[in-house]
Parts: sequence; structure tokens; C-alpha cells
Amino acid sequence: MHCQFLSKAQISSKLLSFQGRIQDSKVFVFGIEITEITNNIPNVNNKMFADITLESVTFKSNWKKERSLASSGCQTSELVVEEVACQSVKYKSVKTQTEDDSDKFSGFADDNSGHLFEFLRRVEPAMHKQLEMNVKSHAFDDYEVTWDEGSSTMSSIHKLTNAAHDGQFQITGLSWNSTGAVIAASYGRFDHEDWCTHKTSLCTWNLERRNLDENKPDTVLEVSSCLMCTAFHPSNPALIAGGTYNGVVIVWDLSREDDMVLTSSGIGDDSHREPVSKVIWVPDTSSVKKNKYLLVSVSSDGKMLVWKMDRKTKQIELHDGFVLMNMNLPTQLRKSRTMRGDKEVGVTCISYNNENKDSFIIGSEPGAVFKCSMSANGEQPAGNIISSIQLKSPVTFTYAHHYGPVYSAEFSPFHRNAFLTSSMDQTLRLYSMLQKQPIMTLEPGEGVIYSTKWSFSRPALFAATTDTGLLLLYDLTQNQPVPVYKLEAGGLMGNNARAPVLTCQFNQHQNNLIATGDAMGCIQVFRISDSLKTPLSRDLEILGDLVDITTES
Amino acid sequence: MAEVEETFKRIQAHKGVIGVIVVNSEGIPIRSTLDNSTTVQYAGLISQLAAKARSTVRDIDPGNDLTFLRIRSKKHEIMVAPDKEYLLICIQSPHD
Repeated sequence: MHCQFLSKAQISSKLLSFQGRIQDSKVFVFGIEITEITNNIPNVNNKMFADITLESVTFKSNWKKERSLASSGCQTSELVVEEVACQSVKYKSVKTQTEDDSDKFSGFADDNSGHLFEFLRRVEPAMHKQLEMNVKSHAFDDYEVTWDEGSSTMSSIHKLTNAAHDGQFQITGLSWNSTGAVIAASYGRFDHEDWCTHKTSLCTWNLERRNLDENKPDTVLEVSSCLMCTAFHPSNPALIAGGTYNGVVIVWDLSREDDMVLTSSGIGDDSHREPVSKVIWVPDTSSVKKNKYLLVSVSSDGKMLVWKMDRKTKQIELHDGFVLMNMNLPTQLRKSRTMRGDKEVGVTCISYNNENKDSFIIGSEPGAVFKCSMSANGEQPAGNIISSIQLKSPVTFTYAHHYGPVYSAEFSPFHRNAFLTSSMDQTLRLYSMLQKQPIMTLEPGEGVIYSTKWSFSRPALFAATTDTGLLLLYDLTQNQPVPVYKLEAGGLMGNNARAPVLTCQFNQHQNNLIATGDAMGCIQVFRISDSLKTPLSRDLEILGDLVDITTES
Repeated sequence: MAEVEETFKRIQAHKGVIGVIVVNSEGIPIRSTLDNSTTVQYAGLISQLAAKARSTVRDIDPGNDLTFLRIRSKKHEIMVAPDKEYLLICIQSPHD
């Protein structure tokens, strides 16, 4: 505390008044009781001071808070610590190695007892009787057992779109990968007038992922023009091929980090000059190794090119080629007699036989359907095509033609002779490879049929997609030629109509799934009911009966 | 022995027959018209099943015994003729 007194006198009496400055602002008591004033100044009489006691005054500061302090201590409970050490003393080292016993087989036992023949003699008549009865029996004809609960309804389980495209592009092709978990879609447009300046993409979705975003694909591969078709490699889940509007065939490798384009056919004399309508992977029959595939692309320029992937450089090279020309067309389709025979005819679809990978069928733009062979060696007129490989005519047989471009042709995965075609003339035809006229023509009355596919699990089931936005499922075991199911697969457009469904694809591994792609860029994945996915025992028989008609007509 | 082969051929030639296997009492195949891996699979599984079927029949009625076993599936029918020393397995696809 600091006080300034004005007088220097030693005062020994009670202070009456105080004039000064208080510099310490803590709580304090002020007021001094002065008991005695001694006067050092000579000869002064101080009679004016009197003794007064004042009450003390306290006040609290208004800006500093009171701090309270407390002090305490704590201690953890006692920690128990133990130390143990150990050391192994003995050592043992053991090695194993498997032996490759795929070539050796030690399963069969030798029988030297000589009783085998007697046993067989005894048992054979009983076995024959049972075998005979079995073939003739109708006891189990309509007997079916369902083991899984499964679903009995058809439902759409996924609706996939690429929000970035904003409905501008149509789905031109769909493909499931070799494991059945990933679906890829190629985007493009069918209605170009001249050059294609669109920037589209190839999108893939992995349906097994838990965080599947239906509006955002897992992978987006940018392409600088419209993609017209796509196909996953049959055994390598990372390779996917696509054909563009400019005639370029591209193969992507999805396992790469950066640039996924593995190889491309480029735009040259050897590649296509018109949009590629279909790409398809075909087993290489000439190669010794089992898993070699060739890539075949067909296009509106009439060429069917066979590409081989070089093992080291991983680039595709033109291995073989065919071209379809006007002179291959049946006479009814040649528009005028003066039409040049050496003009190319566009090929719209291709499909390889299930059993014999050498023979394939193609559908063309005028509507003709041809049976072809990879080893065909027909001569074609030179025409205007410049190519490093001699392009041959592949045609070995011509079938009865459609009345419009054939949009899809598919061989049955179960029967070696049956194939389906669908065309702009609004019909679906079932052909046998051995016969010129179709076995069956179906007209569902739903507009142009853009694609048709066989089911991979039921021999008698196939699907067709229409212009009116429907997915039709046909069952050949039914007696009537009407679809057993009609699913609404196309998205709703403004004028209350459905967008045309341009493509569909069954899933080879999960055989209750089928995917469809429509003209608005939307993919729907449907789960079909169990009755349609499990094959009936008579499916193959019925399909065979239908197709194996050997008629004389 | 030629007669054994002939018998095999006769059974195999029957309509719809996919394969014929003869297995000994230990479950090891002796003769077969199918490939090795399939044969070994059928031999092991079917001999176990036949033994179980036989014990089932005898448990229900000790005076009874198993004479023939047929397993019908969606795709095939497997016919088994059991014996003391051997087992004849025949796989037939009834709809062909």
C-alpha cells in the first residue's frame, strides 16, 4: 500500500481527513488511526486535530474474478508387474513339397480274383431291365422338385445410370464380365448424320459391392467418339473390348492404374472405315494353348476382321479378314440388276456356334442371314478395299432373309443347330443351321426387335427387347407362341411412351439375372423367377424336337 | 478278359448311358468308361451311399437286404447294383 502524505509532520492523533492518492486497488482497509501527533516544528500549537474513528469500507473489484484454490492428491492402486523370460532349446526343421500328380493316376485297383465276370453276369440282366424301364418311363415327366426358396416374382433390382451423361446417350452394348459380377455398358447414339463428334464413355458397375452407387459407375473410360458395342473377355475379367463409330476397335485393361487403353486398331487401311457393329471374343482353335482368344469385329463396311493379340507387345494385329459383298446377297435382295457386285454390304451382327467354333452366322443390313466359316476361302472381287490381308468371302450358305436389317443373331448355348435372329421387320425367327427356311417366326407386335438372346441356364428360354420398351421372355416348352413374361424395361419418356430397349444380356454365372439397356441411357438389372431360371428336364428335348425337324419341304 | 469287356460294352451301348463303373468292396474303382477324376469321385461317394442304404434296409428289417439302388436327379439317373465283393454303377440320362 502506498500513501502520500502531504505534510511531513509526525502526527500522533486520529486522522480526520485524508487527501491523497490510493494506488493499490486491492481490497484493503484504509483509514489510519493515528494515536499521537508529535510536533517537531517548534512553537506550533496544533489544537485543531481531533480523534475520530471511521468505519472501514470494503469494495470488490469489478473486473477481476475471485479465484478459488483447492488442493488434493491421488494415487493409483498398486500395479503388479511380472517378468518372465523363456528360450527354446531344441530346433526342428521340416520341409514339404507337393508332387504334381495330375498325370499319374493311382486310383484303379487290379482285380485278380476272377470273380468279376461272374458278378457282371449276375447283375447285368437286372441293370438292363432298369435301363430299359427308365427310357420308356413317363413316371417323372411332370415331376419337379424345388430345393431353393428362391423368388417367384420378377423384379427390377438395379437401375444404373451415368448421371454425367445426362440422358444424352443411348446404351449401345452391354456385357457381363467373366465372373458375372461386373456389368459394362457402352454409350453412343444410333442417329448420326455425318461425323461423330460426341465424347462418350464405357462405364462399368460392380454389382457385388456394398456401396454401389446406381448413378455413378465404378469405372468410366473416356472415348472420343460414340461406342457402338462392347464385349468382356471370356476368361480374363480385366480385359474388355469395344468398337467405336469411327471404326476403331479398342481393348482396355481394367487392372491398370493409369491409362487403361491396352491396344487399339487405329484408323488405317487395315481397320474399319464405318461404325463397328459388334465385337466378339472367339476361342482360338488353331492355338495349342487352351486359353487363347481372338477378337472378331464386324462393321457396316462389310468387313469381318479377326484380330490376334500379340503376347509380348499386347497389341492387336490383323490376323485374318472377310468381307461381305453384294454378290453374296440372294437375288431377291439385290435392288437392281445393274447393282455392282463388288460393293460391300454392311454386317450388323455375328454369332459363333457353341460346339464348332469354326462356323458362325452373320446378319446383314439388307436382311440376309448367312452361314459362314472361318476357314472359308471364297474369292471376292477386289473392289475398293485396300487391305494388307486378302479379304475373303466367308459365306457357305444363305438362309431365308428378313425384310430389314438383322439387328441380332445368336446361337443357342445348348443346341448345336439352333439360332435366333431379330430384325427391323418386327419379327423374331428361330432357324436350324441345316435348313434354309426358319423353323418358327414370332411376331410379338411390339415394334422393331432390337436384340434377342438365349438364356444360359434354360435351353428353351430366350429374351427379346422391343421398340415399345418391353423385355419379352419366351418359353419354348409352352404351346403358344406368346411371351410368358413382358417386363417394362424402358424408361418413361415425356409422351408417356417407353424408351426403346436396345440391348439385353443374360448373366452367365448368376443365371437369374438379366440386364437391359434403353435409349435413354438407363440400365435395368432384373431378377427372374426361379421357374424361369432352373431348366426343366425336358427343355433340351423339346428344343431338339423343334429344331431337328428333318422335313422335305 | 474279353467277356468282361463285352458285358461293359453292352451296358454302355444302352440308350442314354453316360458311363459304367465297377468298384471293389473297398470303394476303389476297377473298371470304368469315364475319365479318371469323375470315376474316382463317383466310386468314393456312391460306395459310401450304397453302404448306408444297405445298413438302413437291414436296420429296419434284419432279414431284408439291399438289391438295387437308384438315385434320380434333374439331369441323370444313377443305378447301383450291389454285391458282396463289387458294386456296379451305371449313369444314365433318361431324356436324350
